[in-house]
Amino acid sequence: MSAAPETLRFGSGAAVRRVEDPALVRGEGRFTDDVTLPGQTYLAFMRSDRAHARILSIDTSSALAVPGVQAVFTGADLVTAGVKPIAVMPVFKRPDGQPLATPPRRALAHEFVRFVGEAVVAVVADSREAARAGANAVFVDYEELPAVADVMRATEPGAPAVWPAAPDNVCAESRHGDANGCDAAFAGAAHRVALDLVNQRVAPVSMEPRSVLAYIDAESGSERLTLRMSSQMPSGVRTSLVDTLPGRTPDNVRVLVGDVGGGFGMKTGIYPEDIVLAWAALQLKRPVKWQAERVEDFLSAVHGRSQVSHAELALDANGQVLALRVRTLAGVGAYPSTTSVLIPLLIGPWVITSIYHVPVISLQLTAILTNNPPTGAYRGAGRPESIYIIERLMDAAAREMGIDGAELRRRNMVRPEQMPYTNPMAQVYDSGNFRQILDQGLALADWNGFETRRAASLAKGRLRGRGIATFLEWTGGNALEETATVTVTADGFIELTSATMAMGQGIATSYVQLAHDVFGVPLDRIRVLQGDTDRANGFGSAGSRSLFTGGSAVQVASQRTVDEGKQLAGDALEASAADIEYAAGRFTVAGTDLGIGLFELAQRQGGGRLVVSALAKAGAPSWPNACHVAEVEIDPDTGEVQVVAYASVNDIGRIVSPTIVKGQVEGGAVQGIGQALCEQIVYDRDTAQLLSASFMDYAMPRVDGFRNFKTAFDESVPCLTNTLGAKGVGELGTIGATPAVVNAVVDALAHSGLGRQAERVQMPLTAEVVWRALRGEQPAALQLRP
Amino acid sequence: MPQLNFTLNGQAVSTPAEPATLLVDLLRGPLGLTGTHQGCDTAQCGCCTVLVDGDSIKACSVLAVQVQGRSVTTVEGLKTLPGVPAGSLHPVQEAFINCHGLQCGFCTPGMMMSATCLLQHNPRPSEAQIVQALEGNLCRCTGYVNIVAAVKQAADVMAGGAK
Repeated sequence: MSAAPETLRFGSGAAVRRVEDPALVRGEGRFTDDVTLPGQTYLAFMRSDRAHARILSIDTSSALAVPGVQAVFTGADLVTAGVKPIAVMPVFKRPDGQPLATPPRRALAHEFVRFVGEAVVAVVADSREAARAGANAVFVDYEELPAVADVMRATEPGAPAVWPAAPDNVCAESRHGDANGCDAAFAGAAHRVALDLVNQRVAPVSMEPRSVLAYIDAESGSERLTLRMSSQMPSGVRTSLVDTLPGRTPDNVRVLVGDVGGGFGMKTGIYPEDIVLAWAALQLKRPVKWQAERVEDFLSAVHGRSQVSHAELALDANGQVLALRVRTLAGVGAYPSTTSVLIPLLIGPWVITSIYHVPVISLQLTAILTNNPPTGAYRGAGRPESIYIIERLMDAAAREMGIDGAELRRRNMVRPEQMPYTNPMAQVYDSGNFRQILDQGLALADWNGFETRRAASLAKGRLRGRGIATFLEWTGGNALEETATVTVTADGFIELTSATMAMGQGIATSYVQLAHDVFGVPLDRIRVLQGDTDRANGFGSAGSRSLFTGGSAVQVASQRTVDEGKQLAGDALEASAADIEYAAGRFTVAGTDLGIGLFELAQRQGGGRLVVSALAKAGAPSWPNACHVAEVEIDPDTGEVQVVAYASVNDIGRIVSPTIVKGQVEGGAVQGIGQALCEQIVYDRDTAQLLSASFMDYAMPRVDGFRNFKTAFDESVPCLTNTLGAKGVGELGTIGATPAVVNAVVDALAHSGLGRQAERVQMPLTAEVVWRALRGEQPAALQLRP
Repeated sequence: MPQLNFTLNGQAVSTPAEPATLLVDLLRGPLGLTGTHQGCDTAQCGCCTVLVDGDSIKACSVLAVQVQGRSVTTVEGLKTLPGVPAGSLHPVQEAFINCHGLQCGFCTPGMMMSATCLLQHNPRPSEAQIVQALEGNLCRCTGYVNIVAAVKQAADVMAGGAK
């Protein structure tokens, strides 16, 4: 039995069992589809089977004749009723100065369809089967139009236009840096390297598909709309419902979220389907439920990445980076959102120089419309793409110069004495000791012992390669304020209310540990309430922000509760508040036996509860950073790649829940490995039909993949801009793993005799891609226009 | 509508069932056992895995009427399995908590049912055997690292070894 004080065993920094788990392992989670209401109906979508077409007519009569079908809605119905498109902020312009170009994103397609899987008609019925039968019975007459589902092809002269306002398919463009200065730096550079890099379109794939249950809340009035759904951002969804649905105000819309079966960014904003569910419930005055089939999520939930880049790095004779130049085409699908444009045009660029001092950059980034579903946030959202670019370039430069990749990185790292450091995108890093992280990473990975392992692999007929990624990322979503409310109840519980949202990342456990630090009561006395816009509103959970913003708020609100409690206890005990001490759920008058329990004190307050809210504001984003080192083996006969070693050292500042952050880094790394080696959304080149529409076609890491991670953390460099000292962690593993693994494969191929030709392979590095590369077949160089 | 009689988590159940109803829909709908999840349409993800006469099956790929006269165990019934003391979790459930073998928890019921099936047939599985037994279950959060660790721990506990 440990003799450590309780706070050391259960408070922040301690490895505890998660408070989320008992219900989940019993099968008692409350995911949206687990909830059934009296009189509930089911909605099914009839989706476009064309990538681009004019809707000539829609015949819903057969659908209405299906037994059990209650209603059928078309895009025209919604337009007539005044349902508005989802707003897109004009965050960037087109190169010709015209506003960002996007077709209106309507809840149901109206007049045109622009990607395969776009929702066209909604059918509501008494059963799921009847709704699906009704959707199958809808007949739409289309006039098919030319479609383009590939970013490169969309920029070719004469390519089909997704939207007339953008005949060149350019949605928007941003340029950053100093183009002339960059050109001059390149002209005078001793070394220049250039790479074509495809960051393929991938699917986030939460195991729980999107799901929504919309109903009129009988308790709170006949017209109050409630959406129970799987979302990372309930307040944002409410705002979008208010913006799109006539007659809706924040007061008469409530969004409730129970358990969320994975988010990964895919559940951050509103989807057209959500609006349809809300609309249907308002029309029918009955609960309406929809859970996406897996194929529907592949077809119409956001995808991530989808960038094609030509990237160049200039260095002097000593390997000091002089300049970075990047030209990127980013596929944003047929209906870009504010997020899908910001990710490639602004968020990614913020970290493109990563932990390196790069004197001058020139970035030209163009968002391209295609006949695909929108891209959007996916774990990392812009940072994986940028870090992939700079880390591939670093290895190419090291190969060009014939020096060790780790050494080249070390020479260029921003040093601690340069903090706070402003990068060329005007982003300020508060803290970081990147060489210290690198040194630990190299030691953990036994970097210097690699050649022995390479020889051993070769002796058994395998090509071994080693890859490194040293990097940082931006976290916080630039939504740096968060409010937490502490409610102490007479029946002996401390409730923490927050607008951040659990989705598997264990945030409730971390909050409970932080509150335990202050209150010293058993963990099972502390509960976390979230996912109810009637209780709390805020940005929600995305961008690895929840702990360092919401956790800071929990800490501040908890301390303030104790401070207020001291005042109240002083009154109750007829003593000065200054003489009141608090420990482990009890206020006492210093030096006496006089005291009152925290919960008893709450009982004496109005309503039998003590309620304290606090707002915490982080001063800036946090900049977690890491060194990830991967080793792979390639079977030269088949091209199959296996990750055989993976070591990482991570600086995420102060750690609240050690078990959880390790799970975040390792689980995230497996997702990053998935993109490196197998995952890819594939559309037919001619028909723009989705070919990877199920788990039978979309390859994802399974249990037989790599699991033997060595993961370490360095807590010696806390974040200086939030009270916790924590840095975000949720996306770090995913960001680091993709370049580390690809660099390892390229290293193996380069050493097999391919030399710098190996750098031309593109993700995913499937057995076929690698097998072809080993036989000298390489993809053609990309021609990025204009 | 045919009447379906079977044993569910140790209790006799008699319920009408349409011939075309899938077992997963019967469990989640009329029987109200929502711990069995549905994560795909192609019998790939394994979120709906249950035990039928002790074998793991994907409840999305069998008809409800196929369990006529048989014994079905869902995640809600793990605690009713032989050897689990009243009021306790099954060792597999305990091990998933201890090892942080779950994050969002959506795949977890299916994952635990596959693991339970394995341990019933092979109390001391090798790591390779654990991997083979979980091949039909997808997880997006954990990278499977702690899931395999949890199955190992559960095997140790069930075999009477140290926790």
